[in-house]
Amino acid sequence: MSTKPVFHKTNKSHPWRASIKRPPTPDAEEDQDREPTLQEIINIKLIESGEKEKLKELLRERLIECGWRDEMKALCRAFTRKKGRDNVTVDDLVRVITPKGRASVPDSVKAELLQRIRAFLQTAAL
Amino acid sequence: MSKADQHHRRGPSLPDDVVAGPCPHLSEFRARHGAAPFRSLRECIHVRPPGRASVRRDPKEVTVCGACGQAPPRLYACLECAAVSCSLHAPSHAAESPGHAIAVDVNRAELFCCLCGDQVYDPDLDATVVLACGGGSSLRPPPPENLRKRRRVDYRPWDPDLKERVLISKNSTPLPDPNDGVSSSDLPLGLKGLNNLGNTCFMNSVLQALLHTPPFRNYFLSDQHNRYFCQQKNRGKKNEGSNSNKNLRICLACDMDAMFSAVFSGNRMAYSPARFLYSWWQHAANLASYEQQDAHEFFISTLDGIHEKVVKDKRKPHTQGSGDCCIAHRVFSGILRSDVMCTSCGFTSTTYDPCVDISLDLEPNHGSSAKTTPTKANNSCNGGTEAMSSSQSSSVATLIGCLDRFTRPERLGSDQKFFCQQCQVRQESLKQMSIRKLPLVSCFHIKRFEHSPVRKMSRKVDRYLQFPLSLDMAPYLSSSILRGRFGNRIFSFEGDELDASDEFSSEFELFAVVTHTGKLDAGHYVTYLRLSNQWYKCDDAWITRVNEHIVRAAQVYMMFYVQKMLYYKASEELVTS
Repeated sequence: MSTKPVFHKTNKSHPWRASIKRPPTPDAEEDQDREPTLQEIINIKLIESGEKEKLKELLRERLIECGWRDEMKALCRAFTRKKGRDNVTVDDLVRVITPKGRASVPDSVKAELLQRIRAFLQTAAL
Repeated sequence: MSKADQHHRRGPSLPDDVVAGPCPHLSEFRARHGAAPFRSLRECIHVRPPGRASVRRDPKEVTVCGACGQAPPRLYACLECAAVSCSLHAPSHAAESPGHAIAVDVNRAELFCCLCGDQVYDPDLDATVVLACGGGSSLRPPPPENLRKRRRVDYRPWDPDLKERVLISKNSTPLPDPNDGVSSSDLPLGLKGLNNLGNTCFMNSVLQALLHTPPFRNYFLSDQHNRYFCQQKNRGKKNEGSNSNKNLRICLACDMDAMFSAVFSGNRMAYSPARFLYSWWQHAANLASYEQQDAHEFFISTLDGIHEKVVKDKRKPHTQGSGDCCIAHRVFSGILRSDVMCTSCGFTSTTYDPCVDISLDLEPNHGSSAKTTPTKANNSCNGGTEAMSSSQSSSVATLIGCLDRFTRPERLGSDQKFFCQQCQVRQESLKQMSIRKLPLVSCFHIKRFEHSPVRKMSRKVDRYLQFPLSLDMAPYLSSSILRGRFGNRIFSFEGDELDASDEFSSEFELFAVVTHTGKLDAGHYVTYLRLSNQWYKCDDAWITRVNEHIVRAAQVYMMFYVQKMLYYKASEELVTS
């Protein structure tokens, strides 16, 4: 598969320039003789139609409105205070708040998102 | 010097104890490549308003992890070879190829060190992202001119010299000795009841707050508006003005001056602010009646009255929000910034408006999240109790919550489309408020009166509001809001507009609370004053010392916070010695 030329202007020496000729995901492509999974197809369709971005925005708004984001912020602060500011990494924070975050999403938000995804799948005629 | 370097040098970045320096891998990367790789990312940055930047080599690209083909939320693109890895496979990519430690989060345009497993920061990358988002200060309107920096001078304590001592003793009379056997000798000076002249508790409550507003009180007690001089001046002008004959002798500031003299005289008898009421009626003719009025409306009207009279006299040109015009604005005037962002192209229109107070909506009840968290959080790991207490308190309205709401980006409805200059069509937009300049005294007004135009009825919202005694306004300043808009950046690109003293004087202390009990049309205003950490209830003519929990149980309507630290700025006027 050929790579599309991305940069039109004459460049300075940017490391990414050197990799223009390299496809972005070489390893995955070698295995790509098999059919893409359903999950991958849906993901591609969501992104290409721009629906994924819209769903993300909607989710962000709802989670901010219901106070979920502020709760997660408070959790992160409490954890960081306990461990000490210099001993905490992004990975630690994600690991700690992911289970609580997933559990505390309000049902109404879940329902709304599921409904939107279902509607999209119907129109995408899969 | 490169543009990015200029930005960095011009603006103050966050202080060193807040942000850790670069990790060794980032330093090594920079040593090898300099800032070039960050700046070249410019073409790959795509911005979704309000400032969410993503990095894509090709806008239509579907980014997946090179190793596993999945598309989890966090994907990192190596800055050396552009290989994309998810958070699981990023460390192995960095381990396999030395020098490939630094990557950029493709959905946030933030740097990540795959070997440290943590986010890292670089001012040149931040500058590039901010430029791409259109946040460069060249695109901002010039800041209000009154915020040109005035050199800060140190406090110099003052002692009167001999000549001044003579002047003081000749022109003053000592206050009556508080230890003269009066039982209320342990009450602080300046506490005096105000008689109700017929539904005037709305006036009394605000006056009590003003009488104890430190900068305001200091101005009048240091004789900076002398009512005798002012009246003499007005008498001289009597022959000049054509109409306003009766307005000549009406001066709200003079009446305030008289009130301060009476209130701080040490005499504990209640005072009747009849003169002030009469003057105020002259100024706000439409509100002149014996009906109950709104305390907040009275407050605004009084400040306006003081301003009008002073400005007419001095004819001083003033820029809005600078506070140079009159004492009312010097104390209470701040500047609000309003940004309206187009949701499709990100173009932002900014306006600055002066304000003397901040009106806040009461938060609506967070029913759903408060319900689900207590049951489920119980089953998760330790620290769950912290989650529970924070979620339970989310059902109580707090002042902080109201301020968060006030500065949150708000999506304007599709019926309020804003004309975007860049797109040249009406687009849906996001609006965000922030505070550009903090006043010396912040007055928060809680909108407790709901008007329903449909039913032609108004009702009062009796919801309880929790408030702190000390308040840090830093997160609501324009600089903080803007910094947060573009993601986690250490780069402060509005630096040349920032007055450095903003960093220090954003802490406020509560000194007065005006509360309202009862219904919309039949209610009563009471003020609680906090003097030397003691609370005093001012209910018209009756002043009593009360415990803090009494104040906390009340329905607050207006809250007055004063800056903890006041700074002196070099005067613009030449002082004749």
